[in-house]
Amino acid sequence: MSTTNQPELSLPVTGMTCASCVNRIERFLNKADGVTTATVNLATERATVQFDPTKIDRTGIVQTIQAAGYDVRADAGTSEAATEHDDEQRSLLVQALAAAGIGLAMMVVMLWPGGVPWSMERVNVWFLVPATIVQFIFGRRFLVAAARGLPHLDLNMNTLVAMGTLAAYGYSLFVTLFPEAVRSAGLGMETYFDSAALIVGLILFGRWLEARAKGQAAGAVKALLELQPRTARMIRNGVEMDLPVDQVRVDDLLRVRPGDKVPVDGILTDGASALDESMLTGESLPVEKSMGDRVIGATLNTSGSFVMRAEKVGAETALSQIVAMVEQAQGSKAPIQRVADRVTGWFVPAVVGVALLTFALWMLLGPEPRLPLALSSAITVLIIACPCAMGLATPTAIMVGTGKGAEHGILVRNGAALEQAQRVTTVVLDKTGTLTRGVLSVINVIPESIDERELLSLAAAAERGSEHPIAEAIVRHAEAAGLALPDASTFEAIAGRGVRATVDGRKVLIGTEKLLDESGVDVDAPPTDPAHSPIFVALDGRLAGVITVADTIRPEAAEAVRRLRDRGLDVWLISGDRAATAHEIGARAGIGADRILAEVLPGQKSAKIAELQANGAVVAMVGDGINDAPALAQADLGIAIGTGADVALEASDITILGEDLRSVPNSIGLSRATMRTIRQNLGWAFGYNVVLIPVAAGALFPIFALLLNPALAAAAMALSSVSVVSNSLRLRAFNPA
Amino acid sequence: MTDLDQLMDHETDPVCGMAINPDAARAEGLTAEYQGRSHFFCGRGCLLEFADDPERVFKPDHVPHM
Repeated sequence: MSTTNQPELSLPVTGMTCASCVNRIERFLNKADGVTTATVNLATERATVQFDPTKIDRTGIVQTIQAAGYDVRADAGTSEAATEHDDEQRSLLVQALAAAGIGLAMMVVMLWPGGVPWSMERVNVWFLVPATIVQFIFGRRFLVAAARGLPHLDLNMNTLVAMGTLAAYGYSLFVTLFPEAVRSAGLGMETYFDSAALIVGLILFGRWLEARAKGQAAGAVKALLELQPRTARMIRNGVEMDLPVDQVRVDDLLRVRPGDKVPVDGILTDGASALDESMLTGESLPVEKSMGDRVIGATLNTSGSFVMRAEKVGAETALSQIVAMVEQAQGSKAPIQRVADRVTGWFVPAVVGVALLTFALWMLLGPEPRLPLALSSAITVLIIACPCAMGLATPTAIMVGTGKGAEHGILVRNGAALEQAQRVTTVVLDKTGTLTRGVLSVINVIPESIDERELLSLAAAAERGSEHPIAEAIVRHAEAAGLALPDASTFEAIAGRGVRATVDGRKVLIGTEKLLDESGVDVDAPPTDPAHSPIFVALDGRLAGVITVADTIRPEAAEAVRRLRDRGLDVWLISGDRAATAHEIGARAGIGADRILAEVLPGQKSAKIAELQANGAVVAMVGDGINDAPALAQADLGIAIGTGADVALEASDITILGEDLRSVPNSIGLSRATMRTIRQNLGWAFGYNVVLIPVAAGALFPIFALLLNPALAAAAMALSSVSVVSNSLRLRAFNPA
Repeated sequence: MTDLDQLMDHETDPVCGMAINPDAARAEGLTAEYQGRSHFFCGRGCLLEFADDPERVFKPDHVPHM
């Protein structure tokens, strides 16, 4: 143990494979200026560094490790950031309350009924210290930000606040320090210290509300992060031990007990259980898992104990990727935001111009006392015009909208996708895997010469050796029927056509009509439903029966299609299957025959989408993220469903976790609600400025003798920001159904 | 190739001196071409050490060690 009081840092290092890696990192670290001792542990993958904080910091240490050719896993940083955020928020509130309190107290003194028993000169001197503290300590952030922008002519809302408050403070300071000069100019002793302090206080209060709202909107991501389990029960050399989850490496064996969360993504290698995956997929029923099945980190083990092998850890897990994507989307700009940015760009210089013009006009045309009235009006213009509300209009709505989507298993890539989704006029649904489950099931067992159970049992026994989806469907069906399957003594798969096997000494041939025909079997069976695929079974050279299989439609498909139509959308079906199959599924989902595109090769799907687009449709394509990737890319909006989140995230604008097709209408509903909120926000923010700037400049003064004062303007401005943020937060109540 | 040949067919990690199965090293990407010759490494650390200064390990006074 160290005897010094130097700080020690333990960092998770990635990419080490051998003892030479350890030596190398230690050598680099020990050479670095400021590092006292460094030890690297290969087993725990951590570097422990003792360092002199005056010479090197965490970043420097991380950079040294990176220079050696390795990386440091980002972990544990999030909670620090969250604490910082909380501290920042608290200090904003304290400063806001202090500044507003000081301003309010000054205003009470100034407006005391019948006047205070002291001269104004004396009161001004008393005000000087608190007003200076508010202006330069609490209001420092505005001054610094404004000064920073000035050299680049970057005029922003900080410029407006800084100019307004400095003008009020500066004039008041002059009155306080040179009362004689002011008196000889024929002006009163009134100062604006109270207004300046109150403005700073109110705007800080607005910032605090804004920060709080952002924190709440980011709650969706926080909730996702909290799903991540902290520890994993690792099995190494037969020893089971609980270790922090960030130490799990690929190929580690992990035990997951009932009630535990699955620590990382992986494959179940021993045991079986049912997992509650609702947090990631929205699927409410526990999903049965057995050997070889994929298990996803953060899902809950509800029943049995099992062992899994880690496949994806750290930033690679599905959960981490989802979090990263949601964060990215929340910070992204929707194209509509560019309009707001452009407006803000010319808005600030224009306001500064209007303020100067106001000052000039009051000086030339206004009633006495000219200077205070001119100054007060110009300051009011600067304060009321602060475009905070405009700046908040889009990002807050995007943040809440995408966060809300994530809660319902709808991952939106970015603001642009959200904006695009509300423009969609036509939705094209892929058949296999989207409208249907994408898994074959046995529909009918039609015996010819033997009874149904025997036919199914023999067929399943013969097919058990095959991995073909048809074989799997037959075996699954037989097992579900509780049939005992005899062992096949010989087995031969005939690629693309069927299987030949010996079961209980009898020769079983299963496959296409053509296969049986070529093998000399008389295939004279009654015709089956054209939407199903018939599989022929021969026993000792004679037709024993026909089993039909088909992909089955998702139970919620018809409802999803109806909801899309209710939203005024044109719904199409696209499929590579035969027309009969496509029409059958289309009819069940409620899609008309004139809206079905069948026998479309995968490569042609994007061309079909382009055709629809050429006819003026804004097309959303719904399909899986792999086979339909080109079509998803061609469409104005690509929605991926039924694929692993990791794959689909890449290919689509919107990814639907889980398999519920109703998330498609839900996502379009959500995008419409979000965009409606953005438009309301922009309308309100812009309208507010258009109406109140002339009032602030004194446009109503000649008629109604109505003039706003700077403090009232600050209150109005804060209120406008708050109303925009609250309007965005209303989206949290959005119910997709 | 006989089994014996296979056993004999190993390379030496120039940095640490360990015996390396070239096929395994190739599969892991732990190889480097230098002056027309392939070199094989036990792990990433040795590969990076070699890449930093390949001449060093060929000096007569270089003693392979971890």
